[in-house]
Amino acid sequence: MSRRLHIEVFRYNPLDPNSQPHMQSFYVNEYDSMTLFIALNIIRDEQDPTLQFDFCCRAGICGSCGMVINGRPGLACHTQTRDLPDHIVLHPLPVFKLIGDLSVDTGTWFRDAGSRIEAWVHNDHEKFDAKAEEARMENDLANDIFELDRCIECGCCVSACGTARMRDDFLGATSIARIARFYLDPRDERNEENYYQVIGNDQGVFGCMGLLGCEDVCPKHIPLQDQLGIMRRMLAIHSVKGILPKRILEKLQHKGCCHESH
Amino acid sequence: MDASTLTLHVRKTGAGVGRLDVMQMLSGVLLILFLWAHLLLVSSVIISPKLMNAIAWFFETTYMAQVGGPIIGLLIFTHFLLAARKMPWRAQESNAFIKHSVMMHHKDTWLWLAQVVTALLILVMASIHMWVVLTDLPITAVKSAARVQSGTWLPFYLVLLPLAEIHVGIGFYRIGVKYGYITKANRKWYQRLENYMMGGFITIGLITLIRFLFLTV
Amino acid sequence: MQIIYSDLLCIGAGLAGERVAVEAAKAGFNVTCLSIVPPRRSHSSAAQGGMQAALGNAIMGEGDSPDIHFADTVKGSDWGCDQEVARIFADTAPIVMREVAHWGVPWNRVEAGVHTYYKGGKPFEAEEKREKHGLIHARAFGGTAKWRTCYTADGTGRSVLNTLDSMCLRYEVGIHDRTQAEALIHDGENCLGAIVRCLKTGELKAYLATATLIATGGYGRIYRATTNAVICDGGGQIAALDTGLVPMGNMEAIQFHPTGTVPTDILVTEGCRGDGGTLLDVNEYRFMPDYEPEKAELASRDVVSRRMQEHIRKGLGVKSPYGDHLWLDIRHLGEKHITTKLREVYDICTNFLGVNPIHDLIPVRPTQHYSMGGIRTNKDGAAYGLKGLFSAGESACWDMHGFNRLGGNSLAETVVAGRYVGKKIVEFLQGHTVDFKQSAINDAHTKVAARIMEMTKRSSKQESAIQLRDEMHSTMMDNVGIFRNGKDLQAAVDKLDELIDRAKNIKLQGTAIGFNPEISLALRIPGMLKLAQCTAYGALMRTESRGAHTREDFPERNDKEWLNRTLAYWKDGETRPELKYEEASPYFEIPPGERGYGGGKIITADIPEEKLRVPNKGADKKKAKQTKKAS
Ligand SMILES: Cc1cc2nc3c(=O)[nH]c(=O)nc-3n(C[C@H](O)[C@H](O)[C@H](O)COP(=O)(O)OP(=O)(O)OC[C@H]3O[C@@H](n4cnc5c(N)ncnc54)[C@H](O)[C@@H]3O)c2cc1C
Ligand code: HEM
Ligand code: HEM
Ligand code: SF4
Ligand code: F3S
Ligand code: FES
Repeated sequence: MSRRLHIEVFRYNPLDPNSQPHMQSFYVNEYDSMTLFIALNIIRDEQDPTLQFDFCCRAGICGSCGMVINGRPGLACHTQTRDLPDHIVLHPLPVFKLIGDLSVDTGTWFRDAGSRIEAWVHNDHEKFDAKAEEARMENDLANDIFELDRCIECGCCVSACGTARMRDDFLGATSIARIARFYLDPRDERNEENYYQVIGNDQGVFGCMGLLGCEDVCPKHIPLQDQLGIMRRMLAIHSVKGILPKRILEKLQHKGCCHESH
Repeated sequence: MDASTLTLHVRKTGAGVGRLDVMQMLSGVLLILFLWAHLLLVSSVIISPKLMNAIAWFFETTYMAQVGGPIIGLLIFTHFLLAARKMPWRAQESNAFIKHSVMMHHKDTWLWLAQVVTALLILVMASIHMWVVLTDLPITAVKSAARVQSGTWLPFYLVLLPLAEIHVGIGFYRIGVKYGYITKANRKWYQRLENYMMGGFITIGLITLIRFLFLTV
Repeated sequence: MQIIYSDLLCIGAGLAGERVAVEAAKAGFNVTCLSIVPPRRSHSSAAQGGMQAALGNAIMGEGDSPDIHFADTVKGSDWGCDQEVARIFADTAPIVMREVAHWGVPWNRVEAGVHTYYKGGKPFEAEEKREKHGLIHARAFGGTAKWRTCYTADGTGRSVLNTLDSMCLRYEVGIHDRTQAEALIHDGENCLGAIVRCLKTGELKAYLATATLIATGGYGRIYRATTNAVICDGGGQIAALDTGLVPMGNMEAIQFHPTGTVPTDILVTEGCRGDGGTLLDVNEYRFMPDYEPEKAELASRDVVSRRMQEHIRKGLGVKSPYGDHLWLDIRHLGEKHITTKLREVYDICTNFLGVNPIHDLIPVRPTQHYSMGGIRTNKDGAAYGLKGLFSAGESACWDMHGFNRLGGNSLAETVVAGRYVGKKIVEFLQGHTVDFKQSAINDAHTKVAARIMEMTKRSSKQESAIQLRDEMHSTMMDNVGIFRNGKDLQAAVDKLDELIDRAKNIKLQGTAIGFNPEISLALRIPGMLKLAQCTAYGALMRTESRGAHTREDFPERNDKEWLNRTLAYWKDGETRPELKYEEASPYFEIPPGERGYGGGKIITADIPEEKLRVPNKGADKKKAKQTKKAS
C-alpha cells in the first residue's frame, strides 16, 4: 500500500569550486498526509544533512518553499506526495539567483522589484493625526485590496513566466499585481501618469506576452491574469490620450474593471 | 522639448512603449480581419467561380486590390517590426524559452513558441505569395486554379494555410488576454472558441483548395 | 571580517522589528534589519486572526474603551502582567491601528445595516450603525468583553507586515535577509551589536550599532508540536541569555492553542470559534458548555486548551494514528463565510489535511503556540543587564501578557510596542554615543568561530544535533506540556541537564564549503536546550497554577507567594539557570481577583494600600483641582 518514493534532487553548491551541478536520487517511504516538507526533512535528517532547501511556515503562507516540482513551480510544503507519481523531480526556481541545491534568493529580487515600482502607499505619511478618526473606506474595496495583498512573494509566477526567463529585467506578474493594489487604493495619491512612469514599459506591463504561466501556477490564486489585463488596458489607454476622443477612451477604460463602482 | 532631449540623465517622459503596444495590437486586429475576409473571399469559389471573379473584378475596378495589396504588405511589415521587438532573436533568449517550455509543459507557453515559429515562416511565404498574386493581376478563378494545379503551389498553400491560421488564431486569443477581455472567468470558453475557429477556417481553406484543384481550367 | 555600522540594529524583521525600524528611520537614523528569511516571510505573516484595539466601531464592540481592554488584558494574564505596561498598551493600540490604516492596511470596515453574526454556533442579527459605516470593523476573540479584534479577512499579519515592509522600503531601512545573529557583542556594560552568520555564504560578520533591538519572535521549536514556523528557534533570546547578564522573564509561561490541526500542527485561527465554530468530541457532542457554561468555546485559550485535554483524558477524544484529537465544527457557517472570511482556514484544511471544512469536521488538538516569556525589558523596552539593548514583540517579556496572553493581543503588541519602544530608542540614540571596543568585537567573534571549528573536529564523544533535538522534543512534549507536576518536571530538568552536557560534543556529519544547513542546527541546539531548561526549571520551581502554567500538584493560584515574575540568568558552563524573582507589577490598578472563567482557587495576598493606586493618575487629578482652585 505505502509507496517508496524516488525523489530526485538538483544538487549544486556554487561556492564550492569542486561542485558540479547534478541530480541526486533519494528514497523515502511514503506516509499518510505526507507533504514534500516532511519528505525533504526526512532526507536531511536521515540521509544528507548538507541538503539545502528553504521552509519557514510549512503552512503555505510565507512563500519560502517555492521550487520546481516535476516541471512546475509550486510550494513544496503545500504539495502532498499522494498527488504526485512515485518519481518526483525537484529543481530550484529558475530566474532567481541560486544559493545552493533547492535554495534561491527571492528576497533580493523582490526587494529590488519593490523599489523599482516604489511599492508603498504614496501619501504624506507625516500627516497622520493620532487624534482623528481613520479615513473611511468601503468594505468591498478593502477586500479587493487585500485580495492582491495576499501575494506571498514565493516567486512561482516569475519562474513560470517565459518572458522573465528571457529577460532578466522583467518585473513579472507579481509586481504588476502589486502596483494594481496601489492603483486600487485611494490612500495612494499617485495618478495614472505616475504609474505609467513606473511600469508603462517593456520591463513592466507591456513586456508581458500573455503567456499565463503565472496565472496557472500561483499557489495563492491571485487574480494575476485579470490584473495584468486591467493594468495594461489602463496604461495603454493612458498612452493614447489626446489621440482618441475622450468618450471612447472612457468607455474602454471601465469595461470589466473590478472597482467600477468606486 | 524637455530636458530629456538634452541629456540621457533625464528620463524621457512619453507615451512611447504604450503606443507601440497599442499599434501592435491594432496591426494584429487589422490583420486578423484581413485574413478572415481574404479567406472568405477566396472561398467564394466554392459557391461558384463566377462569384469569385465578380468579387475580384469589383476589387480591381475600385482599385482596392492595387492599393489594398501594398497597404496590406505595409501593414504586415509594420506588424513584423513591432512584433519583432518581442521575438527571441538572441540564441540565449530562444534557448531559454525553449528550455522553459519543455520544463513547464504548459499549453499557453507552447502556443507562443508556435506563434514565433509560424511568424518566421509566414514572413517568407506570405511575401512570395503576395508578390506572385499581385504582379499577376487581375485575379481570376481560372488563374488561381491553374496555379494550384501546377503542382508546386498546392503544397505551398497546404503549408501556408495552417501556419497562417494558427498564427492568427493564437494572436486573436492573446490579444484578448493581454487587454483583459479574456478573463479568468471566460478563458476556457475562449480557448474553445479559438480552437473551433482555427479548425473552421482551415477546413474552409482546404475545401477551397480542393475546389481549385478540380476546377476545369 | 566584514564590519557593518548602523545607528540601530534590528535583529528580526517581523512586525515588531520593522515597526521599530520605521520609527527610527523616520527620525533620520541609519537602521539595519537582520532576518533569517526575507522580512515578509517572518512568522508574523502567519497570524490570521487579528489585532485587538478598543476602537468600538462595531455594534458588538459598542462602548468599548481602553479601560475595558486593559481590564481584559490584566484578567487574561491572571494578574501576572505588568499593569503599567498593559495600560500603555491598551491606550496606544487604537492610535496604532489608525496609523497603519493611514499607511495602507486594508482593514475590514463596518458596513451599515443588519448582519448575521454567530455566537456559540447560533446565528443572531445585529444592526451596524450608519454613522460608523466605513470605519475599522472588529470581530470576536476569546477572553474579551467586547468585539475588538481588527482584522483583514484572515490575513491580518500578512497585510500589516506587507505595509510595514513597504514603509521600510520607503524610508530606506537596510534589510539584510538570510542572516542569523549568533552572539551579541558587548563590553559587559553596553551592547555594541552582534556577530552574524550569513546564510548565503556561511561567513561571519560583525554588525556594530549604537542601539541593538532583539525582535526575533518566539521559541516554540523547543516543542515538537508547535504552530510556530521552523525558524522560531529563539536565536535572539539565546544570544541575550548567553551574555550571562541579561535575564529571561517568565519562561515557564507557554501558551497552548486549542486548535492546532492534526497531524501537521498548522494553526487554524481562533476566528473560527469567534465566528461561531464549536468543539465536538468523539460522539460529536459539544462539550465546552458543560465546563464553561457562559463563555463555552470563547473562554481564554489556556482554559479551552485545558478543558480539551481534560476531555481527551476522559477517553472522549477521537483516536487516530497521530494520537487522540477532538473535532472543530464550522460547517454551519456556510460555504460563503468559509471561503471568504475564513479562506485561509479553508485552504489549510483542503491542502494539508485533505478535509473539506464545509462538509467535514476538522481534527484539532491543543498545540504549543506562544511564549509569553522572553528577554526581560523595562517598560521602555530596554533589556535588563546591558545598556543599548532593547527587545520588542514576542521575543520580549515587556510583560503585558503575564501568564496568558489573549488572542489578538500579541499581534497588536508587536506594532504597539514597536511604536512605543521605537520612540524610546530614538530618544536613546539622540543622547548617546558608544565606543566600539575592538576587544569586545574580537571576543564575540572568536567565540562563535571557535564553536564552529570545534564541531568539525573528530573526537571519541560524538553527538548528533538531530538526535539531541529529538530527545529535547520528547522531553518537552511529555513532561512540560499543558498539565505539569513536580515529578515530570523534575524528570525533564534532569534530562535537560544531561542533554546540555552532551551538546558540548556536537559534531558535524557532512562537510560543505560556504553555507551549510547542518551548522545552523548545530549552532542552535545548545541554546535551545538552555531555553528549554529555563522553561522546565522555572515551571518546576513555580509551585502554583497561574494562567497557562498549570500544576496538578498545586492547583491554586497563589498570590501570596507567587505574584511575581521569574527571572532566569545563565552562567557560562552551568546546566541550569539561576532564578531570581521580581514583583509582577509596580502597582495594581486592578487588584488581583477572579478572572470570571477557568475557575480554580486563589490564595489571596495582602497588597499594601499604596500599591493599589496608579502613582501619577491621582496626582494629576489633584494638581488639576489645585490649579482650578488657584484660578
Ligand atoms: C500560526 C500563528 C497565528 C497567530 N495568530 C495570531 C493572531 O491572530 N493574533 C495575534 O495577536 N497573534 C497571533 N499570533 C502570534 C503573533 O503572530 C506573534 O506573536 C507575532 O507575530 C510575533 O511577531 P514578532 O515580530 O515578534 O516576531 P516574528 O514575526 O516571528 O519575527 C521574527 C523575526 O526575527 C528573525 N529572526 C529570528 N531569529 C533570528 C536570528 N537569530 N537572527 C536574525 N534574525 C532572526 C526572523 O527572520 C523574523 O524576521 C499567531 C502566531 C502563530 C504562530
Ligand atoms: C510577416 C511575418 C510575421 C511575423 C514575423 C509575425 C510575428 C508575430 C509575433 C512575434 C507575434 C507575437 C507578439 C507578442 O507576443 O507580443 C505576433 C502576433 C500576432 N500576429 Fe503576427 N507576425 C507576422 C505576420 C502576421 C500576419 C500575416 C498576421 C495576420 C494575418 C499576423 C497576426 C498576428 C496577430 C493577430 C498577433 C497578436 C498581436 C498581439 O499579440 O499584439 N501576424 N506576430
Ligand atoms: C493583399 C494581399 C493578398 C492577395 C491579393 C491574396 C490573394 C490570394 C488569391 C487570389 C488566392 C488564391 C490562390 C492563388 O491565386 O494563388 C490566395 C490564396 C491564399 N492566400 Fe492570399 N492573398 C494576399 C495575402 C495573403 C496573406 C498575407 C496570407 C497569409 C498570411 C495569404 C494566405 C493565403 C492562403 C493560405 C491561400 C490559400 C487559400 C486557401 O487555402 O483557401 N494571402 N490569396
Ligand atoms: S503572485 Fe502568486 S505566484 Fe506570484 S509571487 Fe505572489 S503568490 Fe507567488
Ligand atoms: S507568464 Fe509572463 S508573459 Fe505575462 S501573463 Fe504571466 S507575466
Ligand atoms: S514553507 Fe511557508 S509557504 Fe511553504
